[in-house]
Amino acid sequence: MEASTARLGRRWSRGGRRYGTGERRLARAMLAPSLIVMALVAAYPIGYAIWLSLNEYSVRVPGLSRFAGFDNYSEAFSSPEFWDAVTVTFLFTVISVGIELAVGLGMALAMHEAFKGRGLLRTVVLVPWAVLTVVSAITWRTIFEPNLGLAPQVLSALGLPGADVVWLGETGWSMAVMVLADVWKTAPFMALLLLAGLQVIPNDVYDAAKVDGATTLQRFRRITLPLLAPAILVALIFRTLDALRIFDLPYVLTRGANDTTTLSLLSYQELTTNRLIGYGSALSVLTFAIVMGVSFLYIRLVGGNIRSLVADER
Amino acid sequence: MNVLRLAAILIVAALFAVAGCGDDDDDGGGSGASDSQAVTESRAQGDVTWCIGKDTTGAFTTVIDNFNKANPDANVELLELPESADDQRRLQIQRLRAESAQCDVLGVDVIWTAEYAAQNWLLDVSDAIERQADAFIPSTLETAKYEDKYWAFPFNTNAGFIYWRTGQDGGPKPASWEQMYQQAGDASGFIYQGARYEGLTVNFLELLYSAGGTVVDEGGSEATADSEEVRNVLTFMRDGIDSGDVPKAVTTYMEEESRRAFEGGRATYMRNWPYAYALGKDSQIADSFDVTTFPPYEGNPGAGVLGGYNLAISAFSENPEGSLAFIEFAVEPGQQEIQATEASLPAVVSEVYDMPSVKKALPFATDLRDAVEQAQPRPVSPVYPQISEAIYTNVYAALQGDKSPDQAAQDMNADIQDALETF
Repeated sequence: MEASTARLGRRWSRGGRRYGTGERRLARAMLAPSLIVMALVAAYPIGYAIWLSLNEYSVRVPGLSRFAGFDNYSEAFSSPEFWDAVTVTFLFTVISVGIELAVGLGMALAMHEAFKGRGLLRTVVLVPWAVLTVVSAITWRTIFEPNLGLAPQVLSALGLPGADVVWLGETGWSMAVMVLADVWKTAPFMALLLLAGLQVIPNDVYDAAKVDGATTLQRFRRITLPLLAPAILVALIFRTLDALRIFDLPYVLTRGANDTTTLSLLSYQELTTNRLIGYGSALSVLTFAIVMGVSFLYIRLVGGNIRSLVADER
Repeated sequence: MNVLRLAAILIVAALFAVAGCGDDDDDGGGSGASDSQAVTESRAQGDVTWCIGKDTTGAFTTVIDNFNKANPDANVELLELPESADDQRRLQIQRLRAESAQCDVLGVDVIWTAEYAAQNWLLDVSDAIERQADAFIPSTLETAKYEDKYWAFPFNTNAGFIYWRTGQDGGPKPASWEQMYQQAGDASGFIYQGARYEGLTVNFLELLYSAGGTVVDEGGSEATADSEEVRNVLTFMRDGIDSGDVPKAVTTYMEEESRRAFEGGRATYMRNWPYAYALGKDSQIADSFDVTTFPPYEGNPGAGVLGGYNLAISAFSENPEGSLAFIEFAVEPGQQEIQATEASLPAVVSEVYDMPSVKKALPFATDLRDAVEQAQPRPVSPVYPQISEAIYTNVYAALQGDKSPDQAAQDMNADIQDALETF
């Protein structure tokens, strides 16, 4: 998939050269409006958030503010709440995205097989993804409500342990419910991205491997996984960046209690509830920096692999 | 090439992410009114927009219709904000910071009033209040006062109650908090709002006020939470959970979870707001529960914490006189009666509680007035959100056993002091 778009791109640019530079100028002119809109919508607020984070705005005296330099940042770095939030956010991201990848891959492989009602299943499986996160979070909160929720009722009806556990009142379990809710919602999305990747792997490769006597496991490890790597990477990046910004789940499930205060929730608390505009903006900018850092890490670590994979494919 | 494109997509995605975060709070500085302004005379004319939480029962619309009918020169319109208090505050602050004239009359939770007043977002209504101060229940007026001036009219009020199960699986009417915990332990327990949020602050302060303690001094500049009273209450609450008098589940309970558990027969005693009464009378325990005001604690009479909403006039309103006319109309006994009977919103005017229609809708109306009269406001401060956070996080840590009551009291005090010293 990657290779064909790249080739297509080259063909276009060759065409461009044939029509001369006027064509390019036209292209730039046509791109300009969207670039300007992008600058207004994205770049301006970011620059503004960074500016806010360098100031302090009084919560008691109207209109009073002062330039604070990096005070807000040093306050964040010296606050245990910030580091707790960083830990919680990364813990949540690693666990939930890891499980989502495994579950999503399983679902994708199952949906890739030809069987009756495959189209219907592919649609149905996406339903959790279509549900708003807040709505699904409220549902999960109700499911794990002590005594009266579905989870304790089912556990006690089956005579299983855990019927008396206050799931959202314990440190480890709160995180577990949060991960469960996230996996339920986003594994189908992961599956769909991976399914798209599976479908562009030509069947000839598998047929050839079969002729050579490769077992199912060998075919999976030697053909499916390497050829699926670009799709896996894209899916991982999407999910990781989303998970690093998680807000709705802890806000609804626990209000950040029991070590579930993520970076976004902390920023919200300081910015919106406590109205500490400078400090809250500093936390937002730090979240932004972390998300950016992780993205670049992904690209550096695995970006090279894509290039070599694309080269191999050719 | 691919990598570059991927990088570009990621950067744009990340940019949008942070834009979403930063966008919410606009410039706090700006010109802003440097001195507060007052409105003294009311004149029922012109357009007025009333921005308050969702009109779930239709009672707000009824008041507007009545006003518009009585005042042909004026036209009040309702701008419904979301049901959630957090969202109401966020949307109001967004408009106020932008100096928007969209909202004339604001429905302001009692705990936001000081914060809005400190930012010069509200008009001083002291003159109008003082003309009829006697009509209001005195405690409700306290919530509208900041730096010796009134910034809002009380509109509806609220105070907590003890609900208890009568009959076979019930218990006796509580004679004191201590006794109630014990009796709850023998029966199915006492539940309250113990999740880590504003409700826990209220539940804690009810006990603390009863014990004679405070968290902030009168001048609002010193934290007073490192006290025997705070330790005592924290120990009492913690022991309740340790001994099983209070189920561990309360650490996840907000109002609705408590109500559902009580109606589901999972508790003998419950602390909740009056709204749970009408709903309880529609539930399977309709005939087997009763309500009462807070019993004594530590030998002191029980004290409550005031809830409810005030009506304030935005400093950016283009029709302050018309707004004042509408507010004065909305707090008249006749209109307050409608709020009480149609929406179960407790009135701020004392005589309403004696009306037969109100007594019919809220059979515990007299108790309710007592509860409101004995209740005290939460700390009136522009940094109230931070004070409350300092309270509920530390109370929660004590309930969970993460901190000893002693440690929680010290930390609460330090956190409140930090909050009070915010720039």
